[in-house]
Amino acid sequence: MTTGEKQTIATHLKNSGVSRRNFLQLCSKIIVAAPIGLSLTSHRTAAQVAKIVGKARRPSVIWLHFQDCTGCTETLLRTSAPDVAHLILDVISLDYHETLMAASGAQAEAALKSAIEDNAGKYVLVVEGAIPTRDDGVFMELAGRPSIQVVKEVASQAAAVIAMGSCASWGGVPSADPNPTGAVGVDSVISGKPIVNLPGCPPNPYNLLAVVLEYVTMGRLPELDQFARPKFAYDRVIHENCPRRAHFDAGRFAASFGDGGHRKGWCLYKLGCKGPVTHASCASRHFNEIPGVWPIGAGVPCFGCTEKGVVWQMGTFQTVPIHLATPPETYPPIYSTSGALKVGAAGLVGAIAGAVGGAAWVASQRFQSSMEAGVTRIAADRAHAEKAKAPVEKPVAKKED
Amino acid sequence: MAITRRQLFSGIAKAGVPTAIAVTVGTDVLSAGEKIHIPNAAVGLLYDATICIGCKACVAACAQANDTPPDTRGDNLHQAPSDLNDLTRNVIKLYKEENGSVFSFVKRQCMHCLDPACAAGCPFQALHKDAESGIVSWTEDKCIGCRYCTITCPYHVPRFQWKGFNPRVTKCELCSQRLDQGLKPGCTSVCPTGAVIFGPRSVLLLEAKQRIEKNPGRYYQNRVYGETDNGGTQALYLSRVPFEKLGLPELGPESVPAKTLRWQRRFYQYFALPAVLYAGLVQVIRKNLKGHEDDAHEREKETGLRAQL
Amino acid sequence: MSTAAIEMNDARKNRWERNVPVYGFPVVNKFFLLLFVLVLLAFVLTGYRELAGLGPVSGMNDAFGWGIWKTFNVMVLTALGSGAFAVGIAAWVFRRKRMHSLMRMALLTSFLAYACGLLLLGIDAGRPWNFYWMVFPWRWNMHSPLAEVAICMSIYAMIPLAVENIPPVLERLWYFDSRLRPGVEKIEKRLHYFFPWIIAAAYLLPGMHQSSLGALMLLAGERVHPLWQTPWLPVLYLGAATFMSFGCVAGTTMLCCLVWQRAMDMEVLDEAAKITSWLIFGWSALRLLDILFRGALGTAFRFDRFAGVFWLEMLLILIGGWLLLRSLKTHDAKPMFAGYILSSAGGMIYRFSPTTLAFRPNPEALYFPATIEILVSLGFISLGVMGFLIAVKRFAILPAPLSEWHDMANYFRFRRPYIRWTGYFKYGHFGEDETTAESE
Repeated sequence: MTTGEKQTIATHLKNSGVSRRNFLQLCSKIIVAAPIGLSLTSHRTAAQVAKIVGKARRPSVIWLHFQDCTGCTETLLRTSAPDVAHLILDVISLDYHETLMAASGAQAEAALKSAIEDNAGKYVLVVEGAIPTRDDGVFMELAGRPSIQVVKEVASQAAAVIAMGSCASWGGVPSADPNPTGAVGVDSVISGKPIVNLPGCPPNPYNLLAVVLEYVTMGRLPELDQFARPKFAYDRVIHENCPRRAHFDAGRFAASFGDGGHRKGWCLYKLGCKGPVTHASCASRHFNEIPGVWPIGAGVPCFGCTEKGVVWQMGTFQTVPIHLATPPETYPPIYSTSGALKVGAAGLVGAIAGAVGGAAWVASQRFQSSMEAGVTRIAADRAHAEKAKAPVEKPVAKKED
Repeated sequence: MAITRRQLFSGIAKAGVPTAIAVTVGTDVLSAGEKIHIPNAAVGLLYDATICIGCKACVAACAQANDTPPDTRGDNLHQAPSDLNDLTRNVIKLYKEENGSVFSFVKRQCMHCLDPACAAGCPFQALHKDAESGIVSWTEDKCIGCRYCTITCPYHVPRFQWKGFNPRVTKCELCSQRLDQGLKPGCTSVCPTGAVIFGPRSVLLLEAKQRIEKNPGRYYQNRVYGETDNGGTQALYLSRVPFEKLGLPELGPESVPAKTLRWQRRFYQYFALPAVLYAGLVQVIRKNLKGHEDDAHEREKETGLRAQL
Repeated sequence: MSTAAIEMNDARKNRWERNVPVYGFPVVNKFFLLLFVLVLLAFVLTGYRELAGLGPVSGMNDAFGWGIWKTFNVMVLTALGSGAFAVGIAAWVFRRKRMHSLMRMALLTSFLAYACGLLLLGIDAGRPWNFYWMVFPWRWNMHSPLAEVAICMSIYAMIPLAVENIPPVLERLWYFDSRLRPGVEKIEKRLHYFFPWIIAAAYLLPGMHQSSLGALMLLAGERVHPLWQTPWLPVLYLGAATFMSFGCVAGTTMLCCLVWQRAMDMEVLDEAAKITSWLIFGWSALRLLDILFRGALGTAFRFDRFAGVFWLEMLLILIGGWLLLRSLKTHDAKPMFAGYILSSAGGMIYRFSPTTLAFRPNPEALYFPATIEILVSLGFISLGVMGFLIAVKRFAILPAPLSEWHDMANYFRFRRPYIRWTGYFKYGHFGEDETTAESE
């Protein structure tokens, strides 16, 4: 572990034998990862960015693991070309990382202590994994101390805290119901320090790099949204930049995995893709330096890993509401159809018309010659009256209708 | 009494009938009233179908500007209104020839006619043309929900809300609430190609004519739809394909209400003719009623049964 | 007395001289109960319509803004119910004295048709609470045919028609109890004083709104098929209302005579048939000439549904008129009744067409009433029929020979003396309390 002032990044890279070409490639990747929203990348060319980054001193980074799967570390390392991982580790000075360092036990403890002391108030703390809080945090201990104490202690000396991944951001998988360990994100435990959440399962490592470099070169953290996520990476939903968006707009959807639409690369919305509500840059910045390597690119619906309210909360195949309903690429014709003929209603009209028509027909057939109409009844009535008049005895039964 | 009632009535009739007829058919007084008045500050839209790319930004912007939820009833996903409806004041439609050789988009919204048929038919003036801006707007607390406007509008614009116990009539009101804030209507503020622009009607008309002049042969009949059609409208259209195919009927230079309601309007002018008719009827019936009553009382004596009147 | 004795008086025996209630038939029977059920069902469905809106209960849509509640129950049935107008004008203005015997039938059918139509109009309106604007004339759109129809119809049904229907009610009160007589006579006197004004209004107002119903569709312009759309539409609508209402009044009276076995006065019916047939031929000539002069006749010979509807209505109306003319020669009730039915049916289709059958808002649109819509429409017609059945059995509405009145008095005196509430049996004759006299 180095002590005192760090070398500038340019010097360190030179000493490590990294080529300028590789460094420029990295800088251009940062530009791609954070095209807007960072003052670092407001310089348009990779050479300009490289110049600024090269002047900066390597930032000291302390990386702590809690309840996690180490996936976030893996994503940092699993770059398709070994050079790149190397490069990242050369740009930053990763002074303490439990997975990557050779030391263990008391040696490791000492390393942590010295890293804190050497760079007190200057280092960046990266937290990976959720922090258990139930039962005084006994579910996870480091060197005999609950992790909650460790993170508080290390954070107290840090310049800034970066929560790497969904677990560190708000609890992630460990916090899924019923959350037996009371897992929470870093921001629930630490206060008074600038915290940046980089949710994602895993998040894109370039987002981490961009945040760290922005901090060391410009001396400030990037602009954050309401969940403390940097806006340069999390201000838009996957849906907006999704390469399959055209299929959505045209109404072409995969109906089940492996069906014709799925094979043709149609929209996965109906398979439960959470892209329309998930704020992340995955759609434009793929993983492992390979274009198309990200869930939707691989034909798997986005499961909303960056959204606290979506992942682990909604069903995997449940469709999400569209908040930004935009016009599709189909057009209504000049004359739209409307109205419908229902069998029941038609039958009812037929029945009524039939009944009325039939009644009219029957009635018209029963008209006798005009002169006789009513005469029979009048005669009968009158005869009855004559009969009844003579001796008034008792009322006669009701007349028949 | 110097004059009897009979004399009074016949006097009224003698003076009234010619007056009423004069009022009814006299053309000088009436044709002045029937002349279409163009509002001083008439604003409108100019839509050029030849530069519309059908992006439907105006459809989404319209819903936003009017604070209506997007109409996703088509497929539960997209804001995909199949036509103007209770949530849609503005829609982009597509006209396509059978063989696909010719196509044109068309933006449909209220035409804000200079002599609107909807307002002419509306019984209690719920649909009303503003005297200044010429915007035809709907007033919630005057509408009885008779839906006559949906029958009368030659462009089939006002739409009724079919669901719910408190239905509304929806039509483009040229975003008058935005105009008050000094903003442009929602549709014109987002159009990427300038296919629909907003402005005073006279300016738009000039602009349209200039476009026709600059590009002779580009536009159907080298004509601006709405300059005189249906008595003139405040939404003006330019198109490459015939207007009729875009759902804009050829109605001629006379407005629908003027054309169809001329005699209806004259008949009820100042209520003169009905009043004269009424006076005449009363006279005739008074006379006949007397005779009828006399007959009835005669029969009453004859039959011994009480007269039925 | 024998049948032969009656036959001797052939000339007078069937003359309608007096309105007599239908007696000897109960008001409530199976048919009445069926109507009652239909009315109840309609009321329940109406409640649902008020909550859910028009869409879920009707076939109305954006293209066809008007459904059968307006186009059939109001536009068609008030035409049938224009008897008070057409028969009344014949009787009062053109002094066709025989028509007076049909007046009470005409007034009753008119009142019921208008009342039920207006009720349904209120249900059909989407925002009926705003109807209160009707009270403020300065809010009216004076040139709107619909304002004219709505205001005129309401005033007509509520004032002239209602007032004209009061005499049978007063008459019944008069016969009911001698203590009521001074009061009733006083009211009658007042009423008679105002009658000329009321009757004149009863002819002016329907003349205005029945024609305005036609003017309604003028504004629809070319969306109404050229066989129907004409500047003469208001006149034709009014004309159709006249012969249809004659058909309704005379036809209903004949039907009542058939059902309740009453004598028919062929002199009156012949005269009504004569007037109706001339109205029909005059109207048809006007219509055909109008079509001819507008140059729309060609569309009648196309093989489409519009031509079909046109020929159907014209044939029904003309065959009806021809049957009526024929019945004048034979004095036969059968072709006369058929003539009324056919011409009225044709007229009904004619009045229905411009709003629905010949209305073409766009080539893809379709309107067919939904089941609930039909049931509500049927329920409100049933309400009118129920009102009619009650009225003719409780009030002196139907015309009858003078003998019928005496027969009624006899009937109640000898056959139903236990019924005390009918009224007529008690004072069957002029001023005298007969039952009391009898029982003493």
